[in-house]
Amino acid sequence: MSYDSKLIDILRNSHHAIPIIQAFHLFGITLLLGAIIILNFRMLGIGMREIKLSVLAKQVWSWGTAGLLLAIVSGLLVFIPDPARYAANYSFLTKMSLLVIAVLFQYTFYRRVVRAEARAAEPRRHLVVPILSLFLWFGVGWAGRAIAFLG
Amino acid sequence: MSVVEIFHIIQHSSLATSFKQADLFFPVVEGTHIIAMSLSVGLILMLDLRLLRVAFQTEPVSRIMSQVMPWALPGFGIMFVTGVVLFLAQAESAYTNGYFRVKILLLTLLGLNAVLFQFKYYPRMAEWDNSESVPMGAKAIAIVSLVFWLGVIVCGRLMAYEL
Repeated sequence: MSYDSKLIDILRNSHHAIPIIQAFHLFGITLLLGAIIILNFRMLGIGMREIKLSVLAKQVWSWGTAGLLLAIVSGLLVFIPDPARYAANYSFLTKMSLLVIAVLFQYTFYRRVVRAEARAAEPRRHLVVPILSLFLWFGVGWAGRAIAFLG
Repeated sequence: MSVVEIFHIIQHSSLATSFKQADLFFPVVEGTHIIAMSLSVGLILMLDLRLLRVAFQTEPVSRIMSQVMPWALPGFGIMFVTGVVLFLAQAESAYTNGYFRVKILLLTLLGLNAVLFQFKYYPRMAEWDNSESVPMGAKAIAIVSLVFWLGVIVCGRLMAYEL
């Protein structure tokens, strides 16, 4: 455990470690939400219409996943020095619940809908699935912002 | 009257004070500022990644640009408006903050970087739009964009502290 506690000491005692890690957290979220926006606007038929869905989905999926992983790793580094504070924060608990739902939805049901749509001969306009995806992911973002403001 | 004095008056004006006293001012305005970043910066990152040939390799650069820009530009509009409001609410503290100054410097350089792309590379993009190679200069512009936007986010977050 000595390695772990050394890391926690650094995170706790350095004045700028946490805000800089939070900036990387935001950068990962920006990449993830950018990918989510592109894919869902395409599914809604309001943007990116000149790019084939199969191409778009493949690219956006990999880069969105990269953003998600960056956000998760940096998020853990912010969480571990002060877990009690976060565990008692309702916005944090809401964020984590939404995150679990968003990940499950995106990587199972949503993925299947996109694959079916990419193969379909006749393009269809989707409404419920992309809007739900946008609400879930932006909900995660808003709840995250609320951790500092609302408690 | 010096710039600091003007910003001091703005920060302590009754309008700025009443904004800051509203419980929802910072969550809503700052939240919108950060969330809109995914629409503006998030979409620009995709264009940068395409210029670096690590994303959308099968698509011409011009197509990615034409698809992404109609959404990224209003995104930047939201960032700018919410950013100005946040600045005015704390004009003096922000103006005298070192991280804020670095952030503004980086944003200015990012603007010049975009202008450079628009005038030097965009007019002759048809020559390399579909090809395997992207001019070194255009790649350099993409790298500057990626690194400086990360820098803007770092400075924005560090503004809560003093440089």
